[in-house]
Parts: sequence; C-alpha cells; structure tokens
Amino acid sequence: MSRREDGGSEPTDLELIEAWKKGDSRAATKLVGRHSQALARFAASCGEREGVEELVQDTFVRAFASLDSFRNESTLRTWLFTIERRLMLDRRRAERRDRETVTIEDSDQVSEYGALDALIAEEAQERVRRSLDALSPTQREVFTLRVQQGLSYREIAEIVDSTEGAARVHYHNAIRTVKEFLKDE
Amino acid sequence: MNDCMEREIQDLLPDVLHGTLGAAERPRVEAHLAGCGYCRQELEVLRAVQSAAVFTPSVNVAAIVRNIPPYGITVPAVQRPERSPVVRWLVAAVVAVVAVGASSQLLRHGDAVEQARIGPPAPVHSLALASGLDELSESGLVQLMNEMNTFDALPANEIEPVFADDTSAPIDQDSL
Repeated sequence: MSRREDGGSEPTDLELIEAWKKGDSRAATKLVGRHSQALARFAASCGEREGVEELVQDTFVRAFASLDSFRNESTLRTWLFTIERRLMLDRRRAERRDRETVTIEDSDQVSEYGALDALIAEEAQERVRRSLDALSPTQREVFTLRVQQGLSYREIAEIVDSTEGAARVHYHNAIRTVKEFLKDE
Repeated sequence: MNDCMEREIQDLLPDVLHGTLGAAERPRVEAHLAGCGYCRQELEVLRAVQSAAVFTPSVNVAAIVRNIPPYGITVPAVQRPERSPVVRWLVAAVVAVVAVGASSQLLRHGDAVEQARIGPPAPVHSLALASGLDELSESGLVQLMNEMNTFDALPANEIEPVFADDTSAPIDQDSL
C-alpha cells in the first residue's frame, strides 16, 4: 500500500521503509500493523490452519531482510503476499505427507475463536466457507485475493507467479464452482 | 435466469464490491447490473464470500517486530557442520577411487571405439595355425575338422565379373 490512507497525514509504505532503514523502529511497527492482519487472513483463507502467526512473522522477517530488493514495481502488500505464498508452498511440500489441509471445524472455532460464534451460527456463511474448500489451491488463492483482498488480476498474477489471463480463468472457474456448490447445498 | 456472457463485466464485480471500480467503467457496469439478474446474483455471492467469517487468528505485532533484524544486518545462513579430519580423508579416498575407476572406464571405452572403427578381429583358429597336421593328436584333428565346417567356402560377396568390351560403345572397325 503505497498510497496515503487519509489524505496525506499517514506516511506511505515507502516513507516508512526509508524511516526504518534510518533506524526508526516505530516505522517497522507501523508497517507490520498495517499489513499483518491481511497476511493472516490470506493464509487462513488459503487453508493454513496452524502456525499462521509464525507464517506471518516469517514473512516479515524475510521481507525486512531483503527490503533492498523491493523495487516498488508492485505495492508492498503484493510483495508481502508473494513472499507469504512461497512460504506456504514450502510448508505444504514439507508437510504434505502428514498434514491435513484444513477444513474449519466448528469445535475449533467455538473453543478458540468464541467471538465468531454468532457468525458461525449463520448457515449461509458456513456454506460459503465450505464452498471455498471445494476449490483447488490455486483457485482458492486467486479467488481469495480477488474477492477478499480486492487485488487486481495483474497483482494476483504476480503473487501466484502466473499470467493475468490465467488468473482471470482461475477466478471464473472458482466463482462457477462456488455458485454450483451453493446451489447444490 | 439466463446466463450472462458479459465476462468483462463479471471480471469487474469484485471491484464493485471493494469500491475500486474506475470512473471510466462505473457507468457501464452499473447500467449492466441494473438490467442483468445473473450478474446481480453473482455480486451477491461475492458479498457473501467477502463477509463470510474466515478463521483469522490475531497476530502479535510487537512480537513480530521484535524478531525483525535491524537494517543492514544480514540473517546468517545456516552453517554447514565442520567435517572431522578422518571424514575428510575418507571423502578424499572415495573421490580418488572414483576418479581412477572412471579413467579406467574411459580408456576401455576408447579402446572399444577404436576396435569398432577398424572392425572385428579376424577369427583365429589356433589349431589351423599349427605348423603341420602331423603334429596334431587325433582329438585335435577331429576338432580341426569340425572347425572347417564353419569356414566360408566362398567370399560373402561374390565378385561381379568385369567384361572388357562395352557393347554400348561404338566399335572401331579399323581396330578389328
């Protein structure tokens, strides 16, 4: 996010990066605060179940360690999503044999995330969540980035290391699957 | 409800959701949505997906920041464990053995290539090379007789006869 959020009072990501390079640790706190929740949500939407916070932390550690390679050709958030996705792929490869990729279980939500109880109780939302489980990993990534994060196809293509056209196709296949799932339920 | 074939409009529906639709596209998309139930329904599905509660754990920003190395300090790469001298000698010995073996194979391969170039060696019939039949024992003589059955009586390719006169050439009457 390289734009000012509120008409100019909020520093841009680039300004914060420069401040951090000069030793201002509060700049790092602002950057992490600005993007960490989106990264956690993306990871969760892609089916990451355990260690989401650790994943977000690793993403920031890697990103800050290689900030000199950030060329500002994309937004910082897109770049962070790219790093996070690679970390998720590495994790999946490493844990493929003994790890289940996620379906959100009601019991977990109730015990760990009680604040969501009211939402979970709504049948429509539960069905929507299940429909996302019916997508392939790439479809789910593309669909989540497009619908929940509001990224453009160009940004999504960069994150998933594909083309803009392929991202559009994944999106259309995903929305079709979701609609069919919701119709059949 | 009929399917809508306006892919371009459908591509833009998430932007409607996020309020990021460009000023140039807005009138066209809004006009289409006003008249297309299929796309309106698709937009509702997207709204439901967007608002569906996805389990998102809270993250501890302060803890993350604490783990970020200061600028200019590179994160040390994982060090490879130092090998003991015994292991180093073993590795050197294995490399030497492999090198010698590979060289030997290469030389043998070179000989084989040379052999293939000059053709197979002529069959050697040790008994036939004996200086005289008188020196052979009876069993040796039998063996030689058996081997003779395998000799070629004629060359593999019979030589074509060559005729001196060419009937197609005009006959010089004076030479006759």
